[in-house]
Amino acid sequence: MTNPSLLVVLSAFLICCFSIPEAQAENVLFEAGKKIARAGTGKAGSIACMECHRLRGGGMPSIGSPRIAGQSAIYIAHEILGVQQGTRYAPMMAGVVRDLSRKDIQAVARYYASVRSPKVAEISPPDPALVEIGRSIAQKGLWKKNIPACVLCHGPDGRGIPPHFPYIAGQNKGYLLRQLLSFAFLKRKDDPQGLMRGIARRLTHEERKAVAEYFASLSPPPAAGKRAEVQGSHHP
Amino acid sequence: MKLLLRILILGLPFFLIPMSPPLSPAAKAEEPDFFQPPSDKEIPPGPFGDLVRRGERIFTKTGQFATRYVGNDLTCESCHLDRGRKPFAAPLWAAYVSYPRFRAKNHKVSRLGERIQGCFRFSMNGTPPPLHSETIRSLVAYAFWMSRGAPVGTHMKGGGMYRMPPSRLPPDPFHGKSVYTARCALCHGADGQGTVSGHDVAFPPVWGPRSYNKGAGLAKVAKLAGFIKMNMPLSKGDSLSDQEAWDVAAFIDRQSRPPDPRNAATP
Ligand code: HEC
Ligand code: HEC
Ligand code: HEC
Ligand code: HEC
Repeated sequence: MTNPSLLVVLSAFLICCFSIPEAQAENVLFEAGKKIARAGTGKAGSIACMECHRLRGGGMPSIGSPRIAGQSAIYIAHEILGVQQGTRYAPMMAGVVRDLSRKDIQAVARYYASVRSPKVAEISPPDPALVEIGRSIAQKGLWKKNIPACVLCHGPDGRGIPPHFPYIAGQNKGYLLRQLLSFAFLKRKDDPQGLMRGIARRLTHEERKAVAEYFASLSPPPAAGKRAEVQGSHHP
Repeated sequence: MKLLLRILILGLPFFLIPMSPPLSPAAKAEEPDFFQPPSDKEIPPGPFGDLVRRGERIFTKTGQFATRYVGNDLTCESCHLDRGRKPFAAPLWAAYVSYPRFRAKNHKVSRLGERIQGCFRFSMNGTPPPLHSETIRSLVAYAFWMSRGAPVGTHMKGGGMYRMPPSRLPPDPFHGKSVYTARCALCHGADGQGTVSGHDVAFPPVWGPRSYNKGAGLAKVAKLAGFIKMNMPLSKGDSLSDQEAWDVAAFIDRQSRPPDPRNAATP
């Protein structure tokens, strides 16, 4: 003898116990992250992420602030920890993230991993000659200097291989170039096995500029690993 | 707004750094002691050039351009790095000039096309394309073009896979597992099944149903150790010790993969 209403109550209870808390926890995390992105942690001197990365994570090429929308949560958290621990030299960010707790970092990483943003207008148009040199390095590598094609590790067309390999397509060029310099001159040492440091060091300055121009000229993927949907949308 | 201004002013000098060319640690061009294949720009126009370009496409995107002959997630380039040019990854420029050759695997003198059929059958876990198919002809043309100017009849430095000196201790798969976790899992996955980017295979599987089968060259521990020693982790070739290369090869060799089709034919 089964009582249908008992079944309903029972299953409702089970759903509450298992599925909802998980979804709810995700939601709580997302909302907490959004709050930090919008208004900071509320602690004295805390600056909101959106001041430099925008609320939807498109970044600000004019101040060299990267787009972070749709990078994997693991990568975002890894970079913030790197800045906190000093393995990544990022003077503009260091003060901002100093007081974030592990929980805050998880929350804000979850938030920015979930939001989407079109490409933000660049500071200058792409240089066609450099783009061509960059394309060849990106797609074929410079194996004589032991540099594999960038797309082997950053995914087809640079759209990322989540969770550890960030997308670089559609990133702003000033930021891309500065990261290559940071890796080459060891101001950024948070890359696994030193993979990126070795590669950045072996590139000449001209080649670094060329790959930065090339990847900046592409449309960003909606999220790491996803194909870009629209070609060259330039919303501010 | 005031904040932004402050950031701008504070950040400006830093932002300008990349604009002034830093003293690059003069990337010293290495001595070209390996054979240098011709550059892409030298591929001639016309039917021969078309065949070469087609060969390259098949080589780098095998699943897409030779679909019906491929049975796993690999491409020819997965093992023959730099589009078949990298020394110690069995480069095509050295291969072209060393065929026809006697092969112990099947006790006969094979031509290059037959050798390529072997890689389709075992390394790609697929079906060999017929010798006169466009697939084999394009791949042979690609190898021929790449070997332009290569000396015939002498062993070329960097040809084939690297031959490991014998291991002093027997290869230890248990230690190999820890090498794998520390140096390989980042890309090939803790479960060896590779990593995807969207719907595309990004890092190829090193074991399991979508990898090379038990009849492949890399299914021999010594060959695999030699490949790993000189080529893996990607961009960090020659960074594992010989023993680490032997150990991680022994670990990978213990995992499951598709059977050798020569055994499957007669169960
Ligand atoms: C004052 C401006 C500023 C604020 C506020 C700021 N950032 Fe940043 N952020 C930057 C800059 C500039 C960089 C690039 C650092 C470098 O050059 O290495 C950066 C880098 C990053 C990166 C690394 C991106 C990548 O692709 O590697 C992440 C992730 C990030 N910020 C997250 C945040 C989060 C989350 C917040 C809010 C808690 C925040 N940032 C607040 C300026 C800022
Ligand atoms: C062998 C693998 C590998 C190759 C090849 C490679 N990268 Fe990377 N790259 C990485 C890894 C791993 C990271 C992330 C480092 C981290 O976690 O901090 C990275 C990070 C980067 C970043 C920083 C991204 C960000 O959002 O801050 C840039 C820019 C970059 N790579 C550019 C390149 C370019 C250009 C090339 C080709 C010349 C290239 N990479 C080739 C592994 C690679
Ligand atoms: C799983 C790895 C793997 C894949 C994938 C692979 N090969 Fe090979 N290939 C090898 C190994 C190992 C050898 C033997 C090298 C040696 O004996 O030193 C070899 C040998 C060859 C040779 C002869 C080289 C020589 O110097 O004798 C050619 C040519 C060749 N492969 C072509 C191809 C083509 C074309 C494809 C794609 C259809 C392909 N291979 C896919 C591993 C692979
Ligand atoms: C940075 C990422 C990365 C790391 C780390 C790495 N590999 Fe690879 N590996 C690759 C890529 C990419 C290829 C295919 C090359 C290509 O397509 O050009 C590959 C190919 C291979 C292959 C041949 C193809 C296959 O799937 O069987 C083997 C075997 C292999 N790797 C073993 C290893 C071992 C063992 C380690 C650790 C010692 C390692 N790799 C570390 C990226 C990596």
